[in-house]
Amino acid sequence: MNNPWFTQPGTDEGPVLSSRIRLARNLRKYPFHQKLNASAAAGMVAEISGAVPSDFYKLDMQSLSEAEQKVFLEKHIVSPEFLRWDLPRGLMISNDQNVSVMLNEEDHVRIQSVRPGDALADALATANAVDDAIEATLEYAFHTEYGFLTACPTNTGTGLRASYMIHLPCLERTDKFKTLLPAISKFGITLRGIYGEGTESMGGIYQISNQTTLGKTEEEIIQVLQNMTRKVIEHEGHAREKMLTTHRADQENIIYRAYGVLAYSRKITTKEAMDLLSEVRLGYLYGLLDRPRPTKTIYQIMMEIQPGHLQRTAGREMDETERDYARAQYLREIFV
Amino acid sequence: MQQFIGGKKKEIHLCQDCSIKIEMPISFENIFQGFLNSIQSMQTNRPAKPPAAPCARCGMTHEQFKSKGKLGCEDCYQAFAKEVEALFKNVQGSTHHTGKFPRRMGVDIRTRREADDLRRQLKEAVEAENYEEAARLRDTLRILETPRSKTGTNEEMQRTFPDEQQGFEGNTSMNREVPHE
Repeated sequence: MNNPWFTQPGTDEGPVLSSRIRLARNLRKYPFHQKLNASAAAGMVAEISGAVPSDFYKLDMQSLSEAEQKVFLEKHIVSPEFLRWDLPRGLMISNDQNVSVMLNEEDHVRIQSVRPGDALADALATANAVDDAIEATLEYAFHTEYGFLTACPTNTGTGLRASYMIHLPCLERTDKFKTLLPAISKFGITLRGIYGEGTESMGGIYQISNQTTLGKTEEEIIQVLQNMTRKVIEHEGHAREKMLTTHRADQENIIYRAYGVLAYSRKITTKEAMDLLSEVRLGYLYGLLDRPRPTKTIYQIMMEIQPGHLQRTAGREMDETERDYARAQYLREIFV
Repeated sequence: MQQFIGGKKKEIHLCQDCSIKIEMPISFENIFQGFLNSIQSMQTNRPAKPPAAPCARCGMTHEQFKSKGKLGCEDCYQAFAKEVEALFKNVQGSTHHTGKFPRRMGVDIRTRREADDLRRQLKEAVEAENYEEAARLRDTLRILETPRSKTGTNEEMQRTFPDEQQGFEGNTSMNREVPHE
């Protein structure tokens, strides 16, 4: 019914690219992943696959090539831990790729739902529907005081991680940016790079999410995150206005040069391409770039220049240099 | 990282996720709480307790839990209740889930919640040696539980509302809100 979120115009209409919900659940009957053996894991994966709504298709992780696995990672459908984990695992994906369930990640069930733009409540409703479907036939580990029980006590309670992917190209250059993290962490909110924990930010893209999962309802968690994100975006707006008032010509120069390199370079690294795409996104968003918009969204392009995507398109493994050439060629086809 | 719990310096090893979360909200309250705990312990001068026994269901030891920061099964929440609750208070700022409940539990939720609250109050009353209040709470709890145990058909119900002896003598099921020790 829907198209994948990253192809929808909603990802290109403002600082918020997407809204994501993750629910962590475990089955009562099996030990958590630290104490799970291969046969129990296989049984558990089979049981949950049977409970997930039938319009999801099931992927056997072991049968996927390394590049295909990486594509799922770059699409944020699986986590790096999930790919490293050697016991039986399963991945269930909805047809539009906007809802997915990892089976046997750190928790038995990790439901994920993504929407373009600012739509956390919708994403939660979708995740809840899958959650209810699984729970209709299987019994979750649940405690009346602590809530949903998870392998790591930092997820106990709601098991909910809500996050926005946001573009902060102007704010990240200011001194204010450094003071942001300690300020929002007081409200149980954190900010990370595009690929999460411990990854550097590229292209001005960040993930802002709740850290605490216990003591608040799902709706309250979302509300706090929404309010904090709004504040962060206000700061981005101020930084942008300031920049455009004082350095408009310089900024236009940066944006057009970025467009030029994307359209004509012959070899380009992921990092450089991401940063240039960030400038171009800013240019389109605020009318600073008078060039036709590509048919793909900027975020889709950002995803498709990642190593896994390039190798899948090429149908073969490529070393770093080969990828830098392939990336430049892909970008030329889009921007020239 | 190091923490002061009950006046003892305690080394906790956590996964990256947890340690980031723990280290972030270093608040005045946390420092103050640690300080309070250490004073309290100096005053009562309790002897050090041996670490909790391994989880009877999955065999996770106290050491393993401390080093990985991950639990092995749902019963670990009971086996390491003290550590888990301390972690909840520090990291989550709460120990009480107020969000979604599984639908299959929906019908009994209010009764469960009420019973849980009563058991908590009962435990506090016993600890405070307020036996009059404890007796009153126990009676209320009994009334709440009686019709349930009479119907006695639902295994889930039995687990949640065990008869009194079972419920207060320490068992391993998660849904039995057993006073610690």
